[in-house]
Amino acid sequence: MSTAQQTLPAARAATKAAARRTRRRRGIWDILGWIYLVLLLIFTVVPMLWMLSTSLKSEWAALQQPPQWLPSNPTLRHYERLLSPYSEVGPTFLRYLFNSFWVSSATTVLGVMIAIPAAYAFSRFRFPGREALFFSVLLRNMFPAVVFLMPLFIMMRWLHLVNTHGSLILTYLTFGLPLSIWLLKGFYDNIPPELEMAARIDGASRFQAFWRVVMPLSAPGIIATAIYSFILAWNEYVYALTFLNNEERLTLPVGLQRFFTEYASNWPGLMAAAFIMSVPVVALFLILQKYFVRALTEGAVKT
Amino acid sequence: MALTTTRARPVVGARPARRRESVLARIVRHWADYLYIAPALIVMLLVIGYPIYYTVYLSFFATPPSLSMDEKIWVGLDNYRRILRSESFRDVTWNTFIWTIFSTFFAFVLGFAAALVVHREFIGRGIVRGLLLIPYVISAVAASYIWRWLYHSDSGLISGVLMDLGLIDRPINFLDDIDRVMPSLIVANVWKEFPFAMIMLLAGLQTVPEQLHRAAMVDGAGTWHRFIHVTIPHLKGVIIITTLLLLVTNLNSFTIVWIMTGGGPAGASEIWITEVYQLAFGRLRFGLASAYSVILFIVMMTLGYFYVKALTRGDRRRRPA
Repeated sequence: MSTAQQTLPAARAATKAAARRTRRRRGIWDILGWIYLVLLLIFTVVPMLWMLSTSLKSEWAALQQPPQWLPSNPTLRHYERLLSPYSEVGPTFLRYLFNSFWVSSATTVLGVMIAIPAAYAFSRFRFPGREALFFSVLLRNMFPAVVFLMPLFIMMRWLHLVNTHGSLILTYLTFGLPLSIWLLKGFYDNIPPELEMAARIDGASRFQAFWRVVMPLSAPGIIATAIYSFILAWNEYVYALTFLNNEERLTLPVGLQRFFTEYASNWPGLMAAAFIMSVPVVALFLILQKYFVRALTEGAVKT
Repeated sequence: MALTTTRARPVVGARPARRRESVLARIVRHWADYLYIAPALIVMLLVIGYPIYYTVYLSFFATPPSLSMDEKIWVGLDNYRRILRSESFRDVTWNTFIWTIFSTFFAFVLGFAAALVVHREFIGRGIVRGLLLIPYVISAVAASYIWRWLYHSDSGLISGVLMDLGLIDRPINFLDDIDRVMPSLIVANVWKEFPFAMIMLLAGLQTVPEQLHRAAMVDGAGTWHRFIHVTIPHLKGVIIITTLLLLVTNLNSFTIVWIMTGGGPAGASEIWITEVYQLAFGRLRFGLASAYSVILFIVMMTLGYFYVKALTRGDRRRRPA
């Protein structure tokens, strides 16, 4: 009894000392962490700010050495030129922008629509061949786009789809569809099947249970999948580079490259175009960051 | 210990001895399930299955440099022999190796460290996380031009700043130099790629139970020891998957190299993917390019095998099919 009373304060002191020790050690790691974070932020943010800053300079100011961090005479001229339908490059650029929107939206809608029933089936049903089929879906993520390019190109020639947006929408499904199935399956896995069973007992048909119970619950998952697939399609470059030649039909990534070859030294203009191209995806991403992160990590991280 | 074994055994034994059903009967019983996946299956066969088949098929033919595939000649394994024996294949493979390994390594290390830092709570954490993720979302084309501009030999920011600081006298030529081109490209690639590793590992970190850290702390383990003995073992699965995905992405990445250097100067930054693209759409040697693709396939499939294994380990444990 008495020994216990004696050791208690001693033990307390020991814990306190240990805590102080860890806190001191933590202190070093904290400081290192902050230093790292600052360096990493510089590495990440400076290139983006440099794009923005350059896009506000005149062509002459951009080539100054030493470089001006902030434009001394900021101008919105490049943005005006790109976005005004009356300038010499404006109509072309707006057309690229519109093409990108159209192709990305169509791919997303089509991909998600086809993926929803498939993902649901992979999540809920136990039909023969389910695993093998699902793995082949996963394996698609392993194949480089360039490998699909040649056969798809030959196929598109047969189908007379070269130089159409149809060819892009169809080929974008090569990555959009497997990805959507994979992501959506993860979301359906997290919805307890008991909810549907309860609905079935209450007299709902299988489809009604799916439509009225599962669909509303999986709305965040569908949004996440749609954003992800939209961003991928918006940024896609290789297929667009290969399948489209017609100036009228180019999407932004390829259009940007065309601009560069035509106005080789106009870096501010190019940076302005790159900035405009980044705005929609970054905005979408920032607004729906939570869903996007969930979409990315779904599957790999099991809680 | 004894308790878990006695509990586990009856469960395995008590598995209902279901009547064995023939595969055909099961397919018939589940016929309606296939309707759900039918649209996806048809599209996948068309745009994925068929291209794979056709690539393998075409790799056995010599194709004349034209877009019509009518005059192809069966050459068996000749295309493969030519590729594997060529000198450029060795150089390109070496470049691909350097590119993939270093990009993956640095993206992983930077991303992991970033995940650890932004996992802690501080004011403005949400904004910092968002900022760090932006390079991953913007298009590779935009990123390539941004970095080309940063590396610009006469007016680039990097040369400019280094000259301002007095570290160099003349602007550095980053992309037109045989020795500097690969590291320069890798830096740009890591800039774009590390946020991916960060998100994945951050999501993993959030699943590490706080009690484990507390328990280790009571035992006197410092930050470093807790990282090695608690965090790392817990994240093993995520680490494997993230590394594999980074390897695959880097092995497959085309845009950054293509736009920034096009494989140059003098092939110093040529990697498999850009070489395949040159062969197919630059020189219109579809047969040769197909054989090249099949070699790529095989490497990818090996990685893919481990990826599926790593992914399904968790799946099996959770819900026995």
